[in-house]
Amino acid sequence: MLEITDFPGSGDPSHLLPRATRLNEPYFAGLAEGRLRLQRCTACGHARYPVAPACPRCATSGGRWDELAGTGSVHSWIRYRRSYLPEFEPLMPYVVLCVALDDGPRMVGRLARAGGDPAIGGRVRAVVERLPSGRHTLAFR
Amino acid sequence: MTGVAIAGIGTAGFGRFEGEALASLADVALSRALEDAGLQRARIDGLVSHIGSPRGIDYDELALLLGLRVRYAAQTWEHGRFGATVITTAAMALAHDLCDYAVCIAAYANSLFARIGTAGGVGFREGMREGGGPHAEAPHAGMAAPIAGAAMSTRRYLERYGIDRDRLGAVAVAQRRAAERNPLAVMREPMTQTDYEASRFIVEPLRLLDCSVPVDTAAAVILTRDDRARDLPRPPVHLLAFQGIHAGPGEFIFGRPGLGINQADDDDWRPLGADEPVFRRAGVGPADVDTLHCYDGFTSQVLWTLERFGFCGPGEAADWVQGGRIELDGELPVNTSGGHLSEGHANGWGHTLEIVRQLRGEAGPRQIDGVRVAQWATTLGDSIIYGRERV
Repeated sequence: MLEITDFPGSGDPSHLLPRATRLNEPYFAGLAEGRLRLQRCTACGHARYPVAPACPRCATSGGRWDELAGTGSVHSWIRYRRSYLPEFEPLMPYVVLCVALDDGPRMVGRLARAGGDPAIGGRVRAVVERLPSGRHTLAFR
Repeated sequence: MTGVAIAGIGTAGFGRFEGEALASLADVALSRALEDAGLQRARIDGLVSHIGSPRGIDYDELALLLGLRVRYAAQTWEHGRFGATVITTAAMALAHDLCDYAVCIAAYANSLFARIGTAGGVGFREGMREGGGPHAEAPHAGMAAPIAGAAMSTRRYLERYGIDRDRLGAVAVAQRRAAERNPLAVMREPMTQTDYEASRFIVEPLRLLDCSVPVDTAAAVILTRDDRARDLPRPPVHLLAFQGIHAGPGEFIFGRPGLGINQADDDDWRPLGADEPVFRRAGVGPADVDTLHCYDGFTSQVLWTLERFGFCGPGEAADWVQGGRIELDGELPVNTSGGHLSEGHANGWGHTLEIVRQLRGEAGPRQIDGVRVAQWATTLGDSIIYGRERV
């Protein structure tokens, strides 16, 4: 289970999420329970993100929802020195990580702790941030 | 050979034109292109519009407001990446006799909108697409603005190949030096590597001077078939070959195949070089290209384009561009108008006008000696190779 915390920024960034659909419902329902659930291809075993009707690796349609550990290593990272989003302004200068999940694809999420430069290859784990609307987003620490 | 050539070009210039109607800017660009081509407006029977409403102007409005009566019209999604696609769409329409004189028009104003990457900015809502933004925006994670995807890819690239980030400065400095000799460029103040290294970070690892300069503009490019182009006053600039934008899980606008960015594969990809289809069809290779013009929203895109099209190997471009190699008197002059970084971000149209000037020998203080072959190329794999003579 992933730790669930409240979004530490300002206001509600829910309007910045993709629209909720029948396709992505299991992903967001998983986050609400503190689980990282992604689709895994039944033909080649590839776990994918973003949520999609077909496997990006072998193009097989469908797949089953699978729970991932949420651990991974830093693939790349950026740090915002200019603010673009008022909801994230109190968190400036914040870091966004691209994380290679141990058992899945690369995903991006804000680094949910202050600190120095992340190390490429450094170990991180996914956490869930609860937004005021009751929707959720993924971050890392 | 595609059998199609550019017969005329025109632009309203680059800058902030808040009070001007988009149609007025487009009319200036079109009038200049028609004068350049020696054609009357009534001869235009094909229209391809690049950037539509609200930032730009749609094909139907263009035709209505500019008095164009066309039998072929098309338009692309609003992104700059479709500049070459607009030209090749016109070329294909000409090749199939759907029209005889096609004009490509890009007219748009960035100054009417909030800063790119902020709410109300151009394309902001696309960040919330179901599959993520067109530049890998994930605004719910705080990852807003096109620069974010570019910065993420640049970090990955620098780390993977052990490159000092300030090596990117050679691209910014080279293009500024060219822009100093371009009266149309919005950024003509001399810039040194020291200036570059002193510029502030916007999204680390990218500095302000890694970023292009948003502008308002209009550009018009008139194309026709080679047999008709021969009868017009200006020397035809032939489209020798072209290829389209590549897309799929292995492609991302920032980076090049094999870099492992976004969801693309992380592998030991090698460029095809002279075997790239656009080169094979044109009958030339990278070594035959006299000047390269490439999409440069950010400095690192120039490096990735050089690698993608085989001008150098993977991870080598940051070294390859040092020492003036891509400057006006260098081995491969790149973006000789100053490009998006210094002339202004005109979605590839400033580059296209410059290619035509270079191949006609009309680039003035920027003219490269003996230019025969010029290439447009992007990180997404699309390219047009232009020639002064048919080969």
